[in-house]
Amino acid sequence: MFDEMMGFEGDATREAYTNLFCWLGDQDLKKLAKKSSSAEQLFRRIGITFNVYGQKQAEERLIPFDLIPRILAAEEWRILEEGIKQRVTAINCFLCDIYNEQEIIQAGIIPAEHIYKNEAFMPQMCGFTPVGGIYTHVVGVDIVRTGPTDFCVLEDNARVPSGVSYMLENRSTMQHMFPELFTTHQIRPINNYPKDLFSSLIECSNSSFENPNVALLTPGTHNSAYYEHSFLADEMGIELIQGSDLAVQDGKVTIRTTQGVENVDIIYRRIDDNFLDPLSFDPKSLLGTPGLFDAYRNGSVILANAPGTGIADDKAIYSYIPEIIRFYLGDEPLLPNIPTWRCDDKNNLTYVIENLHELVVKEVHGSGGYGMLIGPAASKKELSDFSRKLKANPGKYVAQPTLALSTVPILTKNGLAPRHVDLRPFVLVSPSKVRVTPGGLTRVALKDGSLVVNSSQGGGTKDTWVMRA
Amino acid sequence: MLGRHADSLFWMARYLERSENNARRIQAAFHYALSREDDGREEWKTIISESGSEVVFRNKHSQLTLTDAINFLLRDRDNVNSIITLIYKARQNGRSVRANLTQEVWLSLNESWIACETALKRPVKIRDLPGVLEGIIKGSSLFRGALYGTMLHNDIFNFLRLGTYIERADNTLRIMNSKHHQLLPTARVIGGNEGQSQWEVMLRSLAAWRSFNWLRKGQLDPASVANFLIFDARMPRSINFCYREIKSNLGDLSNYYCSNYVSYQMACELLETLNVPNVGNKKIKPSEFISTHIVKNNEVSRAISTDFNLCKS
Repeated sequence: MFDEMMGFEGDATREAYTNLFCWLGDQDLKKLAKKSSSAEQLFRRIGITFNVYGQKQAEERLIPFDLIPRILAAEEWRILEEGIKQRVTAINCFLCDIYNEQEIIQAGIIPAEHIYKNEAFMPQMCGFTPVGGIYTHVVGVDIVRTGPTDFCVLEDNARVPSGVSYMLENRSTMQHMFPELFTTHQIRPINNYPKDLFSSLIECSNSSFENPNVALLTPGTHNSAYYEHSFLADEMGIELIQGSDLAVQDGKVTIRTTQGVENVDIIYRRIDDNFLDPLSFDPKSLLGTPGLFDAYRNGSVILANAPGTGIADDKAIYSYIPEIIRFYLGDEPLLPNIPTWRCDDKNNLTYVIENLHELVVKEVHGSGGYGMLIGPAASKKELSDFSRKLKANPGKYVAQPTLALSTVPILTKNGLAPRHVDLRPFVLVSPSKVRVTPGGLTRVALKDGSLVVNSSQGGGTKDTWVMRA
Repeated sequence: MLGRHADSLFWMARYLERSENNARRIQAAFHYALSREDDGREEWKTIISESGSEVVFRNKHSQLTLTDAINFLLRDRDNVNSIITLIYKARQNGRSVRANLTQEVWLSLNESWIACETALKRPVKIRDLPGVLEGIIKGSSLFRGALYGTMLHNDIFNFLRLGTYIERADNTLRIMNSKHHQLLPTARVIGGNEGQSQWEVMLRSLAAWRSFNWLRKGQLDPASVANFLIFDARMPRSINFCYREIKSNLGDLSNYYCSNYVSYQMACELLETLNVPNVGNKKIKPSEFISTHIVKNNEVSRAISTDFNLCKS
């Protein structure tokens, strides 16, 4: 097992962590552990909470925050940054192709049925190309690590990725609590993210709008990521709107203001495709705005991300991403995938069922760590129940080997203890530029030995430092 | 600004003002109850009926005890005007317009909510009541300070202030209305203990007991109390004061948005009626004056909604 602070053997501090390790040696860890409850209070005061679905209304929870930062050396980050840029570029090429010429299907690389039968494929988008061919403007690429330079992509989040506010708040909390660490470390800043997001959005407007009016569309205060929506709108100085504020009049998208109606040109939407427009998508949705999609196709408004990007990030298409990179860019992928068995293939299914106790099985359309099986941690009964589910509906699942994910220490009552982590860097794509904020959101499984880092499953977060060269 | 946001700002300020007013009202009634041989039961009844929740209370409690009354007014979520419901609603409105508030204003509101939720988690004991009420009022003061000290004085600020002063005018008028029999020119019961303490409850509820005594050197007479609460331009909870603020904030919005508004005209006209103290003048009936002004204040509030697209449709 690879520990990012102590290496494989666990006996020598790795270089990036030297200063931090010294600093930790000078600290009273018990006192430090107490300090972490003051961090929680800070989060509660600011209202950095997420709403838990299925719980009674108004239940707001904190995501546990661990004080020990995770540190990435400059050269490690370089690997990630290049790989991520390559990957999101290929994903946008793929989306543009899939909704237009579909050369990748004609070339026989992806079977047509994997696209047409996929519920994330959105025929309404066919024949329409957004400005600059950019479909997914805001992407979160989840990365796991198994060794010093061994990074792989766990999944892509090309629809409406969230978590960036935690990345930013974790940093400002650390700066507030341990300013001295920031004077002894050369940490690359991340606070430009909101400005970069705004620039990325504006760059999509081409020259079609003069002084474009940008707004952030939220499902409302009960959404689990509402804090993030209000945080980003605030940081960017744009309006935080809901579907009920919007109307389409004479082909223009408008909002109802205190001075009458006003046009909106660019919408950073944080609601799912299905809730955008009841006329084009889910007719039962009350959140949407009738006519919004037509206005979008006519070019009178820009939506970021574009509808239909889900076809690029579901777990079945994921397994084709290395092929996708080769096909559109002509390059070898810089960041590998995790080997993935699509269970709709008969041979794969047999293999998966025989080796279930060693594999991780996920739902193709699942998220949040729900509905997945971790073979090595499952009981006999869980395994046999799951293989029954697999046989009944193989197309619903993919399987991957259980990786020895890297660990980073967290602070527990009994001092430091290693826990498994992953990383979600945030990527902004505009027609002129791909920006990757140095760092990202490190999610950490707080339970000893656990591999599940999702906040909905008891995971926490850490501040993530990318060091200057 | 979005109409919905203006609406949330307006109501956030109204609910917060109402929670402060209710806390002061409870404080005054508690003070009154402690200074009497009976437990001041009538006063609690009055508060509960003023808040329009009499039926809800009677459905839950067969008789009225001090503890029940206090807990109903403070922490019963079925009571739409309990302190906890009001602060909850103020915070919900605040959350939906977070991006329109400064960090300090939001923190003061969120901390008020956290403090209030913690303090009111369990039934409040009589001995804890003074501290709880002080905490609520302090939270409101902190909010006001952050608002004046850190917000841009722009349309966002104007909608917040409008909410505050519409609510405050309503509160002052309603308290006077429930005690209007004390305001009749013939109710000269000065020196009588009963009359004296009712005046005191009313003035204390409006944070005006000491200032009135200071101005009038301890002379209480019905007409001057009424004139003070309605017409005195120096008193921050008088109707005159509230309407000068309402007019000024609507005036700012008219300038800012370069438009003429019905609500502004109405506020100007209403303020005209508040310039000359007239209680004691035989032609004016205070009770009528108060009830028409409650109605007019509501009309101004509705006109604001219409003028600025506050509510949907």
